[in-house]
Amino acid sequence: MDERTLTLPGRFENLAKISDFITQAARAAGFDADAVFHVQMAVDEACSNVIEHAYGMDRSGDITLICRADDRGDLRIEIVDYGRPFDPNRVPIPRIDPEHFDLDEMKVGGLGIFFMRKLMDEVTFYFDANTGNHLTMIKRRPQ
Amino acid sequence: MTGTIVQDLFEGQVARLAPQGRLDTFTVPAFEQILNEHLDAGHARLIVDLAEVTYVSSSGLRALLSARRRARSAGGDVVLCNMAPRVREIFEMVGFVSLFSIYPSAQDAARALLADTTPHA
Repeated sequence: MDERTLTLPGRFENLAKISDFITQAARAAGFDADAVFHVQMAVDEACSNVIEHAYGMDRSGDITLICRADDRGDLRIEIVDYGRPFDPNRVPIPRIDPEHFDLDEMKVGGLGIFFMRKLMDEVTFYFDANTGNHLTMIKRRPQ
Repeated sequence: MTGTIVQDLFEGQVARLAPQGRLDTFTVPAFEQILNEHLDAGHARLIVDLAEVTYVSSSGLRALLSARRRARSAGGDVVLCNMAPRVREIFEMVGFVSLFSIYPSAQDAARALLADTTPHA
């Protein structure tokens, strides 16, 4: 089992570094170029939401990514932060209708969460007062 | 993103904006400011040339949609060109390929913008 960890200050300027880290982890886990791109995009959207909504203007803190590839080849990515609990599963997904997109719904992260769910096989969230917010996304390897 | 190249075409009737690299939540505000500066100045015919763009996040999609709505309400449009397959895939996932006019080159996009005199809703 391969495990990689990255901890960075939760700031938008670090999104490119997070993207590089996750791209390398997904490649090392043996995913093809399409799947690597999809994982990178889902994690970029997830971390953008954490930085914007869990930390926001008045808070700051670290964001930790833990990537584990298991024996089946599935990739499990856990994103940990210590901001306000932000459960993406409770944010309404905007109606994907290009003529009628609601720009306000897109602003609260709804479109990013649409991508996370579309591109990953599982998206789960739990909050623990001691260990912070844990967002876990799993990309399964086609068997 | 390392910046946006801005070029006036056809004696200033059309502007070509060419962002570079990633359009993510960090880089989008600077790009959005350039879009809004053009729209504020009454320049509503804009080409976003995506030749050097490797990634567009939901915040980038939102900025483009917002600019498109502003441009069209002013009688212009925001059109796209030179889209790489990866970027196109993102636009396809949310149906933006049927919303935006997308051209193979900036010249094609400029000609279409200048020929389009139809008022937009």
